[in-house]
Amino acid sequence: MKRGRYHLQPNPDPSTIGSSSVCGGGSGCTNGKAKMWEDEAAAQQDCGMDELLAVLGYKVKTSDMAEVAQKLAQLEEVMCNVQDDGISQLASETVHYNPSDLSTWLESMLSELNPPSAFDPVGTTPLAAAAAATLDDSFLGPAESSTLTTLDFDNNNNQKRIFAEASCSDYDLKAIPGKAIYSQRPQTQTHDSSSSSSTQNNVKPDKRLKPASGSNSDILAPVSAYGIPTESSRPVVLVDSQENGIRLVHALMACAEAVQQNNLNLAEALVKQIGFLAISQTGAMRKVATYFAEALARRIYRLYPQNPLDHSLSDALHMHFYETCPYLKFAHFTANQAILEAFEGKKRVHVIDFSMNQGMQWPALMQALALRVGGPPAFRLTGIGPPSHDNSDHLQEVGWKLAQLAETIHVEFEYRGFVANSLADLDASMLDLRPSDVEAVAVNSVFELHKLLARPGAVEKVLSVVKQMNPEIVTIVEQEANHNGPVFLDRFTESLHYYSTLFDSLEGSVSSQDKVMAEVYLGKQICNVVACEGVDRVERHETLTQWRNHLGSAGFAPVHLGSNAFKQASMLLALFAGGDGYGVEENNGCLMLGWHNRPIIATSAWKLANKIMS
Amino acid sequence: MMQFTGTQPHPLHQINAPCSIPTMNKNQIQRARPWPGFPTSKGLGSYGDANYMEQLLVHCANAIESNDATLAQQILWVLNNIAPPDGDSNQRLTCAFLRALIFRAAKSGTFKMLAAMANIAHCKLSIDIHTFSAIELASFVDLTPWHRFGFTAANAAILEAVEGYSVIHMVDLSLTHCMQIPTLIDAIANRLEGPPLVKVTVAGGTATGENNFPTMLDLSYEELGSKLVNFARSRNVMLEFRVVPSSYADGFSSLIEQLLVQHLLYPESGEALVINCHMMLHYIPEETLSPLSCTNSNPCSLRTMFLKALRGLDPTVVVLVDEDADLTSNNLVCRLRSAFNYLWIPYDAVETFLPKGSKQRQWYEASICWKIENVIAHEGLQRVERLEPKSRWVQRMQSAHFRGLSFSEDVVAEVKTMLDEHAAGWGLKKEEDGLVLTWKGHNVVFSTTWVPA
Repeated sequence: MKRGRYHLQPNPDPSTIGSSSVCGGGSGCTNGKAKMWEDEAAAQQDCGMDELLAVLGYKVKTSDMAEVAQKLAQLEEVMCNVQDDGISQLASETVHYNPSDLSTWLESMLSELNPPSAFDPVGTTPLAAAAAATLDDSFLGPAESSTLTTLDFDNNNNQKRIFAEASCSDYDLKAIPGKAIYSQRPQTQTHDSSSSSSTQNNVKPDKRLKPASGSNSDILAPVSAYGIPTESSRPVVLVDSQENGIRLVHALMACAEAVQQNNLNLAEALVKQIGFLAISQTGAMRKVATYFAEALARRIYRLYPQNPLDHSLSDALHMHFYETCPYLKFAHFTANQAILEAFEGKKRVHVIDFSMNQGMQWPALMQALALRVGGPPAFRLTGIGPPSHDNSDHLQEVGWKLAQLAETIHVEFEYRGFVANSLADLDASMLDLRPSDVEAVAVNSVFELHKLLARPGAVEKVLSVVKQMNPEIVTIVEQEANHNGPVFLDRFTESLHYYSTLFDSLEGSVSSQDKVMAEVYLGKQICNVVACEGVDRVERHETLTQWRNHLGSAGFAPVHLGSNAFKQASMLLALFAGGDGYGVEENNGCLMLGWHNRPIIATSAWKLANKIMS
Repeated sequence: MMQFTGTQPHPLHQINAPCSIPTMNKNQIQRARPWPGFPTSKGLGSYGDANYMEQLLVHCANAIESNDATLAQQILWVLNNIAPPDGDSNQRLTCAFLRALIFRAAKSGTFKMLAAMANIAHCKLSIDIHTFSAIELASFVDLTPWHRFGFTAANAAILEAVEGYSVIHMVDLSLTHCMQIPTLIDAIANRLEGPPLVKVTVAGGTATGENNFPTMLDLSYEELGSKLVNFARSRNVMLEFRVVPSSYADGFSSLIEQLLVQHLLYPESGEALVINCHMMLHYIPEETLSPLSCTNSNPCSLRTMFLKALRGLDPTVVVLVDEDADLTSNNLVCRLRSAFNYLWIPYDAVETFLPKGSKQRQWYEASICWKIENVIAHEGLQRVERLEPKSRWVQRMQSAHFRGLSFSEDVVAEVKTMLDEHAAGWGLKKEEDGLVLTWKGHNVVFSTTWVPA
């Protein structure tokens, strides 16, 4: 008995087909690209410094370099002594960051963390050179050491603060989530010691003796040997990774600020520091810093990522992200709950999915519809997705699989896939909509709408098309973050916090392979947020509050996600999310899934404020 | 409409053989990746079909057992939506299984998980098992033939077997706390040769620990005993009541020992020894729990040893009444299927004798719910609901050198009369080796009588 009808459209509307990827090599293309970047970066590190400096107009005398190095060393000593007191607090409490103190921090980064070549009397590292260019006598006084880094800062005098202030825990400021970034388990540190110390040994063979800086207990015993690698010395922790964790965050911030100020040579120098610092870190912090460093480097060197991504690759990454962590599953459960309830009693239902991907959302809904009281409705699905890289019609393949499932569970099924470069290309007339008394429509969008914000008016256009669809319900899942502010530095800071939390939540994942791929998935978003601009920057996440404004002004009214959705999501999470870090919370009828109280994604449901009866 | 698969009787020596699950092999699940591995096997019923619910539960159990979080989450979501706790009988049945599966999954989890689950109204963790007063329990068990069938058949068979004896020693191993004895006393008081002396021995809880199944009665056995003595006196029957601390967990070994001493002391006392086993023996550990190392190569268990010891007492008659299903498999899915295809019956039948929302119905369904949880969520010694089908009990009794008696037409008639007081769905099958209570044609409870071969 075959009751299903399948309208699988093999040839999508040509008008909606866009150009596919520029790159012809599939995933290999990405690798090639990355390799090219690495080569180039390496080349610049090896020999390009002098030229670069000259091009940028910095005149650095070799004789100055030795002096700079000496002063830097002095500064280091002072800093280390000061940090003995402050650092443990910093690590355990919320760490504050004051943008106005940036130069202070920047200075510390520069002085503390230059690669060894900066200390070489004949070295020509642009960083040290740049620092030298602006050195003044006040630098000699450790208490007034704030002017080192500010190549073009006019407010040096305002910032003449003793460094100690900056490392105290009580200075005012914006919070950086402490847990995600700084929680370094002593055990992990120990494990990591061999790799980090050997790296340090290789990189800084001639680093001067420093007074024991880390009186913190989590530095291993041979701390007095800090910085004196001898042949007999076994690998020990040379750098306190907590300390470096803080430095890493500030290096990232400093680099982003340099980018913001278009001070690219400073940014370039800093981005390399990030690499050095990241090595000393473990777990999520290292990974997230590496992705941000890469994104910053791409922006600095104008090596923008390919856009659009190779579709099959991004599909695979999407699947891994789905498997690894509960975010997408939560999105599907909560949206499906709202759709299922909105379809109650309807004989024919039609889901228009803006985020079809692999169709993972729909088997569960179809099963629930198949067994609902009163019998299953006729289920129609319109899946919208981007064009595939190799011209394969993957939307149709997904449709066939769903059709097979529908047949098995005796649900009348109708499917159509639409290929569209952008949802903004969509027109209600394409969708062959039936009158709402015949067919109830739900519009579903998971992680899609924010992409429209790259094009002015596109969200408004799409929402007006959605209105024409006259839906019973619109379900929207979006990242709970504002990565679409006008100021680059703000976006950077927000996304650093956001993705640090996300990467932290991935650490508990069981499958390491899935985890790595999920990180790549998120890394691409980071790259887009940080490196891209204009229409290429599509990861323009906005908060639930902002979406409420978009939807509200477009004539949509919120639908309260029921307590059932909340209970179910909580139960499913508790059973399977693996760990106590995740939590569901309700926010004015919307559901948010968070990690350690930081909301990560939000599901909201909407209906037309004035539903058209037809 | 419900469709049910018959439970295939397993010969005893194949108890440990893994059951085959044709629709759910591992390869199928893995091949389904990355596509969610929902059931795609042919032959699923249409919507609302109990078979389909069963399929989903089976898939869910498999997903939980194989730690497939994605699939388990998806199916749990679906089940949560299609099986409301206040739905029809199929839905409530499914809900109880769902609850048990969640409980099983949660047992390995964290405290937070338990807290989250406490959130879920229809999946609350604790089942409120009602403890009845004696009067309440008496009327409660009479609501349905579930227990009454065994009472009636057993009492009638016992009366026939003890005809002419002036002393009757009844060892009552009953889940229902002697609820069938007043009727027996009533009948025996009126027998032609005059009432005998009735000695009742029951197995009470042991000092070492509570039973793993809920106690239904709010009375101690001592209090219950004095009530029975008073009742018997009102019928001019002398009754002696005795509690022997003994537990199913060790095959009632101390009870057996006690009886053996009496048997040795008074070999020719002329008293009839009646062993009444009413839905109690399935708690005794069988081969799948902890096969004992015996001298011969045959599988051996406390259950076997208990029956052998029973035979050693040379009883006048043994009545064995129990639920006719197989819940002994070590394979969760096998148990789930078997339990699902048996425990729909009380959910279906309850509609005929208790109104929705009534207190008694809540108690009644809670006790089924408890049973489902025990079968699905627990393992090892915690899992006590180890039902075996009639065929396997017959095999066990024969192996222990008992000979089955068939029920007389009088007994059959009496049971039929009792059934007439209940809903039309209940029926009676007279088989060669016993009587079977049926609901809509499906076996529910069997009753057999045995004498030493």
